Amino acid sequence: MIAPTLSPASTGGPILRCSNVRKSFGANEVLRGISFEIPAGSVLTIIGASGSGKSTLLRCLNHLEQPTSGEVYLDGEPMGVRIKPNGTRVPDKAANIARKRAQIGMVFQQFNLWPHMTALQNVTEALIQVKGLDRAKAADLGRNTLAKVNLLEKADDYPARLSGGQQQRVAIARALAMAPKVMLFDEATSSLDPELTGEVLEVMRQLAQEGMTMVVVTHEMGFAREVSDRVIFLHEGQIDQDGTPEEVFVKPTSERCRRFLSSALS
Amino acid sequence: MIDNFNRFVIPNLDLLAHGLWVTVRICAVAFAMAVAMGAAACVIRLYVPGVRYLAIGYIEFSRATPIIVQLLWVNYVWPELFGFPQSVEWAGIIALAIQSSGYLAETFRSGIEGLPRGQIEASMAVGMSRSRTFRRIVAPQVLLVMAPSIVNQLAVVVKASTLVSVIAIPDLMYDALKIVNQWFEPIEVLTSVAVIYILTIFSLSAIAKRIADYFREKYGLAAYA
Repeated sequence: MIAPTLSPASTGGPILRCSNVRKSFGANEVLRGISFEIPAGSVLTIIGASGSGKSTLLRCLNHLEQPTSGEVYLDGEPMGVRIKPNGTRVPDKAANIARKRAQIGMVFQQFNLWPHMTALQNVTEALIQVKGLDRAKAADLGRNTLAKVNLLEKADDYPARLSGGQQQRVAIARALAMAPKVMLFDEATSSLDPELTGEVLEVMRQLAQEGMTMVVVTHEMGFAREVSDRVIFLHEGQIDQDGTPEEVFVKPTSERCRRFLSSALS
Repeated sequence: MIDNFNRFVIPNLDLLAHGLWVTVRICAVAFAMAVAMGAAACVIRLYVPGVRYLAIGYIEFSRATPIIVQLLWVNYVWPELFGFPQSVEWAGIIALAIQSSGYLAETFRSGIEGLPRGQIEASMAVGMSRSRTFRRIVAPQVLLVMAPSIVNQLAVVVKASTLVSVIAIPDLMYDALKIVNQWFEPIEVLTSVAVIYILTIFSLSAIAKRIADYFREKYGLAAYA
């Protein structure tokens, strides 16, 4: 009898693994060999100065940017490459990349809601078009997800009628409805006024408590310290400090990290 | 003047109405074809690297050639080369469609390239394919944002259609010239025709603007205007 193949996450292994990822734009090398693993249900926060490569790293994780070298594995499967039976690696088909991307939710700094669709349609679009759910089922699931981010009453509103915080919560619902294995947050509160930041952080906090695996790029140091299981400080495309929130925020060993934190917290 | 109007325009209203109907028919079909051909040329130019230079060549050719040359070329050369069109009306329609499709292709392209990149990335991030992203996310927004430019192109087609009379299509202009040549009284007839064209284009613009305003208001796209 052949034993069923178990995914690494189901056996306690990492749900997302990043192996020596490098990314260059022309002569500018933005990521210079990043490696880490994220166990299922944990929260990894990436901090660093502007231009340190945080967003590029996040976009490499779901292959919105193709790494120049190195690999990203989602639940044991490589993103963007296919391994042939003889072990050679070939670029994966666009359809396979899209299928894997659908298992990684992403929330953008600028929300990127589709303006010609209502909040509910934004949430149900991929359920119908990608997962193939029928409209009624997708609408039910969409409403439940909007309720989870406290926006059920805005289901039929277009994005232009929503505040920034509400738009970002719809964007979170859009990603969440796909039941992703991992959620990526790319400076999800950076475009919001301070009074709207709290409502988005509250939803993210709730997701973390429910055991969602999250990779968060943020400048909200208090939130990062409170919610993260692990924090990475990036400097010029390399991991400069890596550890628990306690290790990174209270007793950082890197002088650069200490300077960054003192300027970020002041 | 009123006397001439009653003598040359009123008795020929049936003829002018028939001419107007031919104009509307030609413009409607030509514009529909132009939208389809323009969209195809735009999509090929942007997304099909192997043949994009063919699309660029087509767009540049259609925009750089005077409409009168295209009319005569399609009407007299195409039947010799390709065996069609077999009627002057189709020759007029095809020439108008070719000319307009080049401009529409560039209108669509600027709309697509002006769309914030995040719109497409959000679609790809939830696992949508490129073609589905184009159909569901890009195309509807481009049509909304570019609606005024597209309607403007329809007005250009209506005005350019006055030239189809040179290949003997009995449109509004052709019928008007027929009346003028019969009585040699151009003032009242041509003024009446000018008014009909103004009203037609004005009505088209007003209807299209109201529709575009409705959708822009609904989707909060006024900022793009």
